[in-house]
Amino acid sequence: MQLIFLLEQVLNGLLVGAYYLLIALGLSLIFSLGGIVNLAHGGFYAVGAYLAVLLAPRIGFSGAFVASPILVALLGIVIERFFFRRFYRSDPILSLLLTFGLAMVIEQGLRMIFGAAPLPFAIPPEFRGQVLLGDFIYPRYRLGIFAIAIAAVAATWFIVYRTSFGRVVRAGVQNPDMVGALGIPLQPYMTAVAALGVGLAGLAGVLLAPISGVHPAMGAEILTAAFVVVVIGGLGSFWGVIFAAVLVGVVRGITIYFYPPAGEASIYLLMALVLLLRPRGLLGERIQKFE
Amino acid sequence: MRDDLSRREGWPLLIAAAAAAILPFALDAVGLPLRSSIDVMVFAIACMGLNVLVGHTGLVSFGHGAWFGLAAYAAALSQKHWFTGGIVLPALFALVFVAIAATLLGALILRRRGVYFSLLTLALTALLFAIAYRWTDFTGGESGLGGVTRATVLGLDLERDRVYYWVVAAISLGVCCLLWRFHRSPVGSVLVAIRENEQRARFIGYPTNRYKLLGFVVSAVVVGVAGVLSVFNHRFASAEPLAVAFSGELIAMVVIGGMRSFLGPALGALFFILFREFLSIWTPHWLFFFGILFVGFIMFSPTGLVGVAARLLAPFRRRIVEEAAMAGRTLSDEPLPAFLKPQDHVEGAILEVRGIAKSFGGIRAVQGVDFAVRDRTLHALIGPNGAGKTTAFNLISGLFPPDEGDVLLRGRSIAGLAPEAITEAGIGRSFQITNLFPALSVEENLRLAVQARHPRRFDPWTAARSIAEIEHETAAVIRYLGVAGIERAEAGALSYGGQRLLDMGLALATKPRLLLLDEPLAGLSAAERQRIGDIIKRISADLPVLLVEHDIDRVFQIADAVTVMNEGRVLIDGTVEDARTSPKVQEVYIGSGAASVAAKPRESAAEPERILSVEGVNTFYGKSHILVDVSFAVHRHEILALLGRNGAGKSTLLKTLIGIAPPASGSIELAGEEIAGLPSATIAQRGIGYVPQGRGLFAGMTVAQNLELGRLRRQTGRGARWDLDRVLAYFPRLRERLDTPADFLSGGEQQMLAVARALSGDVRVLLLDEPFEGLAPAVIEQLFESFDRLRHEVSMIIVDHHLDLALALSDRTIALERGRIIHSGPSKDLRDDLSLRRKVLWL
Repeated sequence: MQLIFLLEQVLNGLLVGAYYLLIALGLSLIFSLGGIVNLAHGGFYAVGAYLAVLLAPRIGFSGAFVASPILVALLGIVIERFFFRRFYRSDPILSLLLTFGLAMVIEQGLRMIFGAAPLPFAIPPEFRGQVLLGDFIYPRYRLGIFAIAIAAVAATWFIVYRTSFGRVVRAGVQNPDMVGALGIPLQPYMTAVAALGVGLAGLAGVLLAPISGVHPAMGAEILTAAFVVVVIGGLGSFWGVIFAAVLVGVVRGITIYFYPPAGEASIYLLMALVLLLRPRGLLGERIQKFE
Repeated sequence: MRDDLSRREGWPLLIAAAAAAILPFALDAVGLPLRSSIDVMVFAIACMGLNVLVGHTGLVSFGHGAWFGLAAYAAALSQKHWFTGGIVLPALFALVFVAIAATLLGALILRRRGVYFSLLTLALTALLFAIAYRWTDFTGGESGLGGVTRATVLGLDLERDRVYYWVVAAISLGVCCLLWRFHRSPVGSVLVAIRENEQRARFIGYPTNRYKLLGFVVSAVVVGVAGVLSVFNHRFASAEPLAVAFSGELIAMVVIGGMRSFLGPALGALFFILFREFLSIWTPHWLFFFGILFVGFIMFSPTGLVGVAARLLAPFRRRIVEEAAMAGRTLSDEPLPAFLKPQDHVEGAILEVRGIAKSFGGIRAVQGVDFAVRDRTLHALIGPNGAGKTTAFNLISGLFPPDEGDVLLRGRSIAGLAPEAITEAGIGRSFQITNLFPALSVEENLRLAVQARHPRRFDPWTAARSIAEIEHETAAVIRYLGVAGIERAEAGALSYGGQRLLDMGLALATKPRLLLLDEPLAGLSAAERQRIGDIIKRISADLPVLLVEHDIDRVFQIADAVTVMNEGRVLIDGTVEDARTSPKVQEVYIGSGAASVAAKPRESAAEPERILSVEGVNTFYGKSHILVDVSFAVHRHEILALLGRNGAGKSTLLKTLIGIAPPASGSIELAGEEIAGLPSATIAQRGIGYVPQGRGLFAGMTVAQNLELGRLRRQTGRGARWDLDRVLAYFPRLRERLDTPADFLSGGEQQMLAVARALSGDVRVLLLDEPFEGLAPAVIEQLFESFDRLRHEVSMIIVDHHLDLALALSDRTIALERGRIIHSGPSKDLRDDLSLRRKVLWL
């Protein structure tokens, strides 16, 4: 019986890791191609959740589930066009400050429009219920979002590693000048990557809205955790980020099982440990410009 | 005069004092309570503390609210549990606590730099918030910790807000004075050097990690002072300052005020409070508008309000920065200043390099290099492109540790030490790519280098400019280099030649026992080359110099000993005469005229039609003028060889043609269409294929995928269509390798792939940068034959240091020297007439 509780917490931890992963993967993509560490990424996650709250009563949860990431991606295109694009070649510190400012504007904007209080958003009835596996009981919705998160990560992997779009993106990460010299303008790809990354954040927002609650500061909360994943895994390293997300999730789950109040703190301690032992991150990728 | 100057420079302190005196009355006049004035003071201190890192050291901390919050908790909790009723003891305890915590956490966080540093500070504050918010028993959690009291100290009843304000104002001014001194001290000047160029700071001998930690702790403690003053102001401690949002507000205040100015952050704090108090009257969402303002400042004025004011006032101000013209200098022929002369003489070798080796991802840049430099000699290290000279320099000076071998300075091993330790051991180096503190003056650059050797370099208190010894030595170096008259110019505003000179000056000013100079003459005018060459020669009479230089004429004139490297190994190690007469060295530089592939005469395929016309092209990198009025033409199916020494501008010319280094002026026409200034992707689509030096293949992608990227957007109908089969007909070996990742190919196959990829699509002009570099003779022959067949399909411009090959293959040659075309004519003449070749390309 004890073991089952532990298993449940580990599974919960993995679930948390999966949605950190959705955020961290988008961050990592945008960072790799344009060199922008998007501190507003959590903001897009929050916008995704609010859009779901707004849209679900009108077009149903499934409709919101599809529409809201797309709308967030469109917002990402606008932000890329008017903000990111001016900072690709400048001091990374400036883009850090810029996206920090954008995060502030988004959070305060949400507060202004929807109020500071959390909005109620329940799991839609059709997705409620439990799944029984022998002695083991787990909520159906959680398993569902777990599956969707994995599918989204797999789709991202497919796009990046198995399509010609992804090959141009990866080539652009390695040597943008060379990509240009082969006649391929990179700018549309940068826009598309921003849309994809931000859209993933929006998707995470929709999926988690019923579990974590919908409130203006939700973006800042998840962002710091996602950055822990990114620092542990290495910015711009696909497998590093995945590995770190799983690790962070499991460590968090196990800590909650043994000492619940330390759940949050455990991931930061994990990060401190990784920094002490392997300052470049677990699958350490070193990108000179950003050091 | 200096005293006079420093008195005048003290005006920010007077402004701060005046502002503190007026503030409560001014805010009262606009209807704000005294508590707001205290808040302004508190935030002003916090922002100035944060700016020690952000503005001065160039480290952006998104988590400095942590120190504010920790100090507040420490003061409140220690008053509650240990020093009931006290105020001085809790305050002191809080500051000591913050100092210790900042030392420990700073040492951890500073293990990462740049963006990662910022993310870690963000995580730190998030962690502390999570702890403070959850640990309700200790911190009061959500409801906070009330009941903080303000005692009577020295007869001052601090419970009264008016009294408390003046105490806060006095403390703030005290902090201001301390920071003022700190920023002007040697430590403060090193922090700015770290912001400008941390790598260079290490290479002039500063252990930058210790300075950064010191800056971090000072910054944290100052923010801690603000936290303490705040907790006694509001008599309440909570987790709120630990939230990321508060740290963000601090950063925003600093940026909006002006991070490059001493008082700018304080102005930002005043602005923030006014903005908050007035805007919150009519909207509760004032932070939203504050955020928009913040974004606006980042986009349009990253230097903040102070920057805006400076721009508005600029037309009315007398410019004090001298024109950075080299003409403004006074030259002198002084001997090497006495303090730079070594006190002893070493018999035999002062530097011994024993079998050093280094590989980068499978490429063996340096393999088993041995040589020795004797005291009081000028030792030159020469060799063609990619010979490994700069890598050898980097291994000696500590940029990378060698994989194998040892480096001995005066018999002591220095291999693998950190750059600052090697500098301290006595090696000063200059850099091939200019490496200065660009926003600082020439004088300040040199002063930093001199200061690095001074015992008071860790002094956080004395004004750096008042240490007479450093001042005198700096002045001597300025005179010696011949930069007197431009010493107040910004280093980054100097001409390229001026920057080269200053780079050498930085190396010299560290009082080295051995000077390493990496191409000190590159980019200098003829007269300057003569003068600097003479200076180097004179230095070497006292101080041994190891020199990498491409100006072989000058090297052979001035060097005492020469080591010639080629392809990572030592070719010749001996006297100038040994190197000059060695057939091996000649072959490396000008070819032997007898290579077998080159022997067979080649048919030209050139047709009279002009395909590419270049007229009066000028290209700059920053301030350096790389290509000067370059004009030439390429005809249909012609092969043009582009020759010249290293650094002559050959690669830049190819990059200008493909659009990676766009020209500042001039015209480039491809088949009658102007392409100068177009994006490189558009130029490539018009039919230019580019094979860069080093091949530029995409690692982790297969041969087929690399080829696919080549033709993805270039099937435009301009030029001949190169589909996969046609490309593979020229490079059949690639057919078997289609599914192999590019990074697993042999060097020859990689080069074939790079050419094949450049051809894929519709291509009519092919640019080849060093296509034969690092290949075995058999592979070179294959490639050569491929190019010979390709001449019937496309026009080519080839850059290669294998002169025999380039000349045998090409129809015409143009030779570049310092960005200008110095020779143009049929390749045949240069191929057959070795004395003409020598005249154009060698001595």
